[in-house]
Amino acid sequence: MSYVDAGYAVALGSLAAYAALLWFRRWRLEQIASAAPLDSTLRSEESNT
Amino acid sequence: MWRDALAVAGKDLRIELRTRVLLNQVVPFALLVLVLFAFAVGPGRGPMFQAAAGVFWVALLFASVLGVQRSSAIEASDAGRDGLRMSGLDPAGIFLGKTAALCAQLVVLELLLGLGVVLFFGSRVHSAGPMVAACVAGTAGLAAVGTLYGMLSSGLRVRETLLPFLFLPVVAPVLLAGTRAWQSALGTGATGASPWIELLVVFAAVYLALGVVIYGPLLEAA
Amino acid sequence: MAANPTTAEAVTKTANRVQPLGRRTKLTTRLVGLGAISSLVATVWLGLWVTPPDLVMHNLVRLVYVHPPIAWISLYLAFGIAALSSALWLWPRTRSRFFDRLAVSSMEVGTVFTALTLVTGSIWGRPTWGVWWAWDARLTSTALLLVLQLGYLALRRVPGDPDSRARRCSVTALVAAVDVPIVHFSVQWWRTLHQNATVLNANLSPTIHGAMAWTLLLGFVAFTLLFAWMLLVRYRVQVLSESLEGDELEGALRERWGETGDVGNAAGLVGSAGAGEGALVGVSVTGESQ
Repeated sequence: MSYVDAGYAVALGSLAAYAALLWFRRWRLEQIASAAPLDSTLRSEESNT
Repeated sequence: MWRDALAVAGKDLRIELRTRVLLNQVVPFALLVLVLFAFAVGPGRGPMFQAAAGVFWVALLFASVLGVQRSSAIEASDAGRDGLRMSGLDPAGIFLGKTAALCAQLVVLELLLGLGVVLFFGSRVHSAGPMVAACVAGTAGLAAVGTLYGMLSSGLRVRETLLPFLFLPVVAPVLLAGTRAWQSALGTGATGASPWIELLVVFAAVYLALGVVIYGPLLEAA
Repeated sequence: MAANPTTAEAVTKTANRVQPLGRRTKLTTRLVGLGAISSLVATVWLGLWVTPPDLVMHNLVRLVYVHPPIAWISLYLAFGIAALSSALWLWPRTRSRFFDRLAVSSMEVGTVFTALTLVTGSIWGRPTWGVWWAWDARLTSTALLLVLQLGYLALRRVPGDPDSRARRCSVTALVAAVDVPIVHFSVQWWRTLHQNATVLNANLSPTIHGAMAWTLLLGFVAFTLLFAWMLLVRYRVQVLSESLEGDELEGALRERWGETGDVGNAAGLVGSAGAGEGALVGVSVTGESQ
């Protein structure tokens, strides 16, 4: 493998890997954010009932 | 601002005089670094002679990390920082005061360290002027950056490991320029000292200015 | 995550907390991503096959379509944005969470680019100079930039309230930003004044013209689009993870305090998930209310 090929492979490969990582992180966080039934109800709301 | 600076500098120096941390711990550490480098570089007189300037500045840099940690430990507790914030002192003045105190302590260290280098590494001083100028300018820069990062990292539990990693890369130019200046003065370098001293002065000026501007926002916490 | 089933109307407020991405943002991100991919593919095709080898550097010149764009983005675009955002955050009149988030996103993506600058530079340097590493001005300053950026990221990981954390990090970014030109200048000086400089001054800057020039431009565009896409995604990740942090903190606090102010719900307290202290409070309150 020539140096040029290695350079391209390393650069694009690493960037692709990081891009995939970012994509996955975003996907996972979107899942958590939409699925979690966390009640962030304000205390005032609760004590009013 | 200046009056506050003097007050703060006086306080820090008085604490040092009373506790003598620098004298008892930081100076021996710096001299120890000298010895370690002698082990690493020596015993041939040639390599040690060539390395002397660099070794001085590296030892100074490591010692200044300790000095910064010490200086910021004085107000490390939350109470200390709150006290500083509510004392009504001008933050720029606090910054300049702490920087001046740290600078003074480091200069004392440098005298001893310089002596050690000349003694142990066999340096021959051609002209003391550039050495002194480089030390003064370089130390001012070191102290400025150190005080800034000291306040920034105070109160963090990971301060011990993080502070060196944050601080040392920023002051790498001081190491570079100081070594060149000292090499010229000790006759081991190829170039003149003045451009490097100018660089050290610029570095110090830039970070003193930045610190004066930024210390205020840094001090006010959530 | 805290499960607090005491109140019947356990409103899921989380969905309101972090707005789902608007259609325009999603579309923009997707377009930028597609643009990045297509221009990158074009760059590789042109760079590796279509363009001719250089007279002097032969095939090595092909790395000029990759290394300089990455280097430029790492220093001027990514780090520049991070430094500027940090400054804007620090200045009270323009302070906004947007800038803090932008700063960390840009800095993190930029760190990847900085590391790649060093790697591609090294790969280019090996056949050109015969060594994997050389203390030339640009490589050395880039190496120091990487260390500064890693320091920023390490500091960012230190837990703390968002405001203090933003404060610390933005100061660090500014200190680093001021340092970078000083470092570059001093290292350059250091190298040129040293005798061996001439060997390494031989350069990574071949003369570019014609198809090569266009490919170089395309390379810049391609990597910039890629950076933009990464920045958009990373920013979204930051927004999401900050709100998650906030939720986790609230959940943990709630578990810890129990519902101490709420005698009426004392019975429900004993069943509240995993909160040792809360259960104790519940039991004692129940006992009292008997």
